[in-house]
Amino acid sequence: MSVQEITFVIIAVIGGVSAVRMVTSRNVVHAALYLVVTLAMVGAVYLVVAAEFLAWVQVLIYVGAIVVLLLFSLMLTKAPIGRDTLDNQQRGLAALVGMGVLAGLAFLIQDSFGGSKPITLHQATTEQVGVTLFRGFVWPFEVVSVLLLAALVGAVVIARKDDPAGSRRGPDRRAPLRRGSEATRR
Amino acid sequence: MTTGYVPILILAAMAGAFAVLSLAASALLRPKHPLPAKSAPYECGIEPIRLPQSERFPVKFYVVAMLFIIFDIETIFLFPWAVAFRSLGLFGLVEMIVFIGLVFVAYVYVWQKGGLEWEKPEQARRELSARFVPLPPSVERSPGDRITREPAAVESGAG
Amino acid sequence: MLSVLGQVSGGPAVAHGKLLFRPIGPELILVGVALAVMLLDAGYPERHHATLALLSLAGLAAAAAYSLSLWSWTGPTTVLGGMVAADRFTVFFRLVILGVAALAVLLSYQYLERADEVRGEYYPLLLFATAGMTLITAAADLIVVFLALEVLSLSLYLLTGFSFRRLASAEASMKYFLLGAFSSAFFLYGIALAYGATGTTNLAGIAHGLTGQVGPLSLALAASGLLAVGFGFKVAAVPFHMWAPDAYQGAPTCVTAFMSAGTKVAAFAAFLRVFDVAFSPLIWDWKPFVWILAALTMVVGSVLAIAQSDVKRMLAYSSVAHAGFILVGVTAASHAGIQAAMFYLAVYPAMILGAFGVVMVVSGRGERGLTLSSYAGLARRSPLVAAVLALLLLSLAGIPPTAGFIAKVAVFTAAIQSGHWPLALVGVLASVVAAFFYLRVIVLMYMQEPVIAGGQREAETGFDAEPGAVGSLGFVAIAVPALLTLIFGVFPGILFGVLKSASIIRF
Repeated sequence: MSVQEITFVIIAVIGGVSAVRMVTSRNVVHAALYLVVTLAMVGAVYLVVAAEFLAWVQVLIYVGAIVVLLLFSLMLTKAPIGRDTLDNQQRGLAALVGMGVLAGLAFLIQDSFGGSKPITLHQATTEQVGVTLFRGFVWPFEVVSVLLLAALVGAVVIARKDDPAGSRRGPDRRAPLRRGSEATRR
Repeated sequence: MTTGYVPILILAAMAGAFAVLSLAASALLRPKHPLPAKSAPYECGIEPIRLPQSERFPVKFYVVAMLFIIFDIETIFLFPWAVAFRSLGLFGLVEMIVFIGLVFVAYVYVWQKGGLEWEKPEQARRELSARFVPLPPSVERSPGDRITREPAAVESGAG
Repeated sequence: MLSVLGQVSGGPAVAHGKLLFRPIGPELILVGVALAVMLLDAGYPERHHATLALLSLAGLAAAAAYSLSLWSWTGPTTVLGGMVAADRFTVFFRLVILGVAALAVLLSYQYLERADEVRGEYYPLLLFATAGMTLITAAADLIVVFLALEVLSLSLYLLTGFSFRRLASAEASMKYFLLGAFSSAFFLYGIALAYGATGTTNLAGIAHGLTGQVGPLSLALAASGLLAVGFGFKVAAVPFHMWAPDAYQGAPTCVTAFMSAGTKVAAFAAFLRVFDVAFSPLIWDWKPFVWILAALTMVVGSVLAIAQSDVKRMLAYSSVAHAGFILVGVTAASHAGIQAAMFYLAVYPAMILGAFGVVMVVSGRGERGLTLSSYAGLARRSPLVAAVLALLLLSLAGIPPTAGFIAKVAVFTAAIQSGHWPLALVGVLASVVAAFFYLRVIVLMYMQEPVIAGGQREAETGFDAEPGAVGSLGFVAIAVPALLTLIFGVFPGILFGVLKSASIIRF
């Protein structure tokens, strides 16, 4: 095995184990932290196949931002944080579906690329990514900004659910919110 | 595989080894006196009156996280653009100005709509007083809570 | 079948000077107007609902006029590096979608005023959704298809949950979002596999890559399957329709009207383009899949609609069934099939938007009076509204003098011509079943007394007998679709004449 293959095996084992731990962990926060490891390992795989820019996107967006959002949403939804709180009755079915997807993808990749000659890696530099992105994909790139725009408006809509008239001044713009801690305390 | 990452790899290995070694060393060297008080949550020396179990975080945190992701993605696009800036020329600049302009409009909008305001002081005080009501005596704590310090344990745990 | 023109490009080799922005003019106008509406709303936060609505309408009109000018476009068939198609197919669907959006603005104005839920974010989101819809009809690259799909879906998730005071609205938004995100994942994976199979995401490039291929096709087949699942979710075809009734029922009715009409048109336009262009070499492989999808959708949609007692839910299932009828045209995959599907896609939005419009007008503030029983005796209370609804329901059922009939005949004829007579048979049977629940509403309106006593009824439905209570804007928004179904039903030649050149997908 080459160095690259050994590295890949190590990364894949770490990522796979933490992925399994993520779905089997009963503590949601632990699950989220296992997700961090899995996502970081995916980033490492990108590095192994010489997709440097993608690896850093993976780390910055997924590890850096998405997981943080996930943790915030856990705290927001009052998901019980602690031991023995997470369980799903349909885990058998889920495992079956997961195995099916795995088998399907393994077959697919083996069938399509199995017999072909080994692929030589070309280092994709960030500059090449930039040139491709900003020359060939001009229009999709600008559409992304529209998507971000819509997402920001959406953030405003979700965040400011309590001011209907769109007025942002005045002391009584918020309807009295019932705090969950008051309503659900035993 | 890029060989430029070897120093980073070595650094990461050193950082990991340091953490593991410190923990291992302290586990081996420290005296062992396990007490319930030691595993109680620490609240500036005051006895904790309640666990954060039933507390819900304000939605504002979430909004900040959402805004962060959006601008994070914007920054990601800046990175390859900056690297390839010279070969892209004026056209690339115009492209990026349009992109940033659109997101900037969104930023102004969020700002104007008060999405970046945390909360007003009087409102914060109101919410705070509404939130921190002492637990009524009837409220039972679950056995696993272990938040009360037994006086005896505290005394003997001083060593 | 299709005129194969244009460059098979998709690579980054685009010289700066060759970028032609004219074919994306409508989208630029829509986004620009959306920005203007946003800034107007942020800068002047006091009540200015009419200004925002008028500005949005003006933007839609300008975009429509611009689209119309693209009808005579003689430049290259794809622009911006093969990302955007500039054909009459696009112009046709853009005009349909812009029309839908304009009527939705009229409905929305009345709805928001009545429900006291005027907020400045509504119109920008509506315009973003519209831009996403028009963009997807022009997308000649899977990346653009995906981004456009996301722009329109994201805006619609938010619009669905816009009536945040009603729990049902928030719940609908949540369900729609979760299943929509799920379907987006399918779609994205399909794009990835298509790229893996052919090395490009460009539709023409994929078709080119698949034509001469001798190796295993499993990757391309899996890609087409996943993309079909993604589209199936968006058009609410049957195994993937679960979100539709809940989302349609919970959303503000004006949003329901918009999305039931607009999303379906947009998603089907992309469906037609992707499957009849990119995957045309695999036509015999994806056809059976779409065949089953069409049959299931028609039957399940029609049968489940019977069991509904809520009007919005009933119309939601009916819209599911109609997706099945349109899929029959897609399955035919001939020129006649595309033409029939396009005719259907021009007529169906009018019918469903009008029907939901009437539901909105009849239901009171806060979405009451949505049960079928509240339609009892509507003809006596408001004959004009009842007549409009009756006409739209007849069209939805596919009864002769209306456009719905012509659309169904066209779709079934195309299917039979392509040798899919069993599918056509299933379709006819499903139409018969579907006719039952449409006619039941008509019978209720015309032949039954209102169930509840006078004063109480009005309090419950919030709608009194005065025709003026409908609101002139709301009336326009329901009368125009009704008129269109009648016109296209009596003179279908107008539309078919347009479709003769519009149904040629260029790439």
